[in-house]
Amino acid sequence: MTSAERDTIVEVDDLKVWFANRDAIVRAVDGVSFELLRGETLGIVGESGCGKSVTAMTMLQLIPSPPSVIAGGTIRYNGEDLLTFDEERMRAIRGNEISMIFQDPMTSLNPVLTIGEQIAEPAKLHRGLSQSAARELAAEMLQKVGIPEPHRRADEYPHQFSGGMRQRAMIAAALACNPKVLIADEPTTALDVTIQAQILELMLALKHEFGTSIIMITHDLGVVAETCGRVVVMYAGRKVEEAATAELFTAPRHPYTLGLLAATPRLDTAPAIRRADRMRLQEIPGMVPTLTGERVGCSFAPRCPKSTDICRESDPQLEDYGNGHLTACFNCRSA
Amino acid sequence: MAGTPLLDVRDLKKHFPLKRKLFRERQHVHAVDGVSFTLGPGETLGIVGESGCGKSTAAKLIMRLIEPTTGQVRFDGTDVTAMTKRQFRPFRRRMQILFQDPYASLNPRMSAGAIVGEPLLNFGVPASERSARVEQLFDRIGLHRDAMRKYAHEFSGGQQQRLGIARALALEPRLIVCDEPVSALDVSIQAQIINLLIDLQQDLGISYIFVAHDLAVVQHISDRVAVMYLGRLVEIGDGDRLFAQPLHPYTQALLSAVPRTIAAGERRRIVLKGDVPSPVSPPPGCHFHPRCPEAADRCRQQAPELRDVGGGYHVSCWLHV
Repeated sequence: MTSAERDTIVEVDDLKVWFANRDAIVRAVDGVSFELLRGETLGIVGESGCGKSVTAMTMLQLIPSPPSVIAGGTIRYNGEDLLTFDEERMRAIRGNEISMIFQDPMTSLNPVLTIGEQIAEPAKLHRGLSQSAARELAAEMLQKVGIPEPHRRADEYPHQFSGGMRQRAMIAAALACNPKVLIADEPTTALDVTIQAQILELMLALKHEFGTSIIMITHDLGVVAETCGRVVVMYAGRKVEEAATAELFTAPRHPYTLGLLAATPRLDTAPAIRRADRMRLQEIPGMVPTLTGERVGCSFAPRCPKSTDICRESDPQLEDYGNGHLTACFNCRSA
Repeated sequence: MAGTPLLDVRDLKKHFPLKRKLFRERQHVHAVDGVSFTLGPGETLGIVGESGCGKSTAAKLIMRLIEPTTGQVRFDGTDVTAMTKRQFRPFRRRMQILFQDPYASLNPRMSAGAIVGEPLLNFGVPASERSARVEQLFDRIGLHRDAMRKYAHEFSGGQQQRLGIARALALEPRLIVCDEPVSALDVSIQAQIINLLIDLQQDLGISYIFVAHDLAVVQHISDRVAVMYLGRLVEIGDGDRLFAQPLHPYTQALLSAVPRTIAAGERRRIVLKGDVPSPVSPPPGCHFHPRCPEAADRCRQQAPELRDVGGGYHVSCWLHV
């Protein structure tokens, strides 16, 4: 199927983002490809340093260059490569077509502007709304994200909001221009679970209302399971597996995904099983590799229980195992 | 539980004073507002709750890193809260603490070996024994002996937490208070540290107080679990029972809010309205009543006490009296 038939809205192809350091090149993102379909929620999971946030920020050109270098690849949005856009054209995209919410709502909101001004800012910029219309929009958006007394609240400053309310305000700002794509980078990581539940519920409700496509970047497999239709698993700057969410959790193929799932303690595990295992979690031995220098073989090989000679010598390519389940591994065919 | 518990905490309170405003009475943050529990030898008690519920303050009160406003902490039958610093010193080596941010709790100007050896130095262990003991500790926590010469920044997050554990173990404590010890770590590293803590407990019989916001981690490591809300315990008891059949409406909401990786059948999510109220002026009666789906008149007026509902399982709720 071509991307047009599948109704792709964003297509990232072989993206490479490197950071030039004084004496080395860090390959933070090293050949990542994925598609975001219209109206879907795509999860990107992985541990610190796997390149998930760099990928997301590159989509909006939010990483200063230098030190970052786009070493290759394309990011197609509506058929056009965003990487070729100059700053002026990017400004027309950011917050209008594609917007982003970040992990820490305190550092991403301006402390000296009112919440209302910040929510309405993109709409004033992109749609030339008047002052009074902007105020009205801000209040309306606050109401949509479930903040009581929206008119009064719009005139308050970020420090007067609790963590959960700030994240709601940030979502309101991100959705003010009704963007086609929302990139959410660990949107609930800084929040408590009961507040996380509120925010995730809100994001899903707004997605249905506005028809937004969402890229959900997280390290929390539970968040992925509850919100995403499809998942990309990243490790050391590459995509190692991609599958429909249900399939990834029931039939994971890549040893890293298996390790990640086994290492995560779960509330659903029956007490008897936990006791029988002497309550030990399965570990992934070793650490994430440094991303400097030329990659030889599979990045996960040094930590992989299944690795063989071929893994250390050549690079595994993504293979399709049916239903769009992709895995880059030499030794998981038998799985 | 037979005999004296290792730790017996009774009605512990910490009220932090706020700056006084003109013509107004001084206000206090009721960080910990009457917490009682016991901990047996070799047992792990998990303390869960959301930000600001007072779980970390409770951990620090037990260690006397901050002084309680009222209440008692009995360690092995002795009240340690009323002691002078000098009297407390021999107890301090028996109780250690592990912090959330391993890097911030390691001196950047000391070598790893010196960091792990420092408690031994402080308690007058002669130099000759010290280096052998530090080597032993490095073996125990799974770091190479060569790493003793390195500095904290040269270690990864997981290794830094291992150093913190080695330092806590140096004086052969009977209790380690773990304050969010794995929440800054990635899942694969988190599993390594949790396993290390479990191994140490099995080999050395240490008791843990394990404070964390990650419910799955707490369930995994704890024998008993305590749930805190706005400075008070709402439920405490056997971990398996608490996670399988929580009684307090707050615990029920908390557990239902955790995203699961496996569809748990017809699980109903209880989404709580609003935020946690301010601990400066906590609501009267049951602290949870403004957000409680089951709140009745009595809940608004009178605070329920923590009651035994059978088998040493305690709940503080008018629905269970």
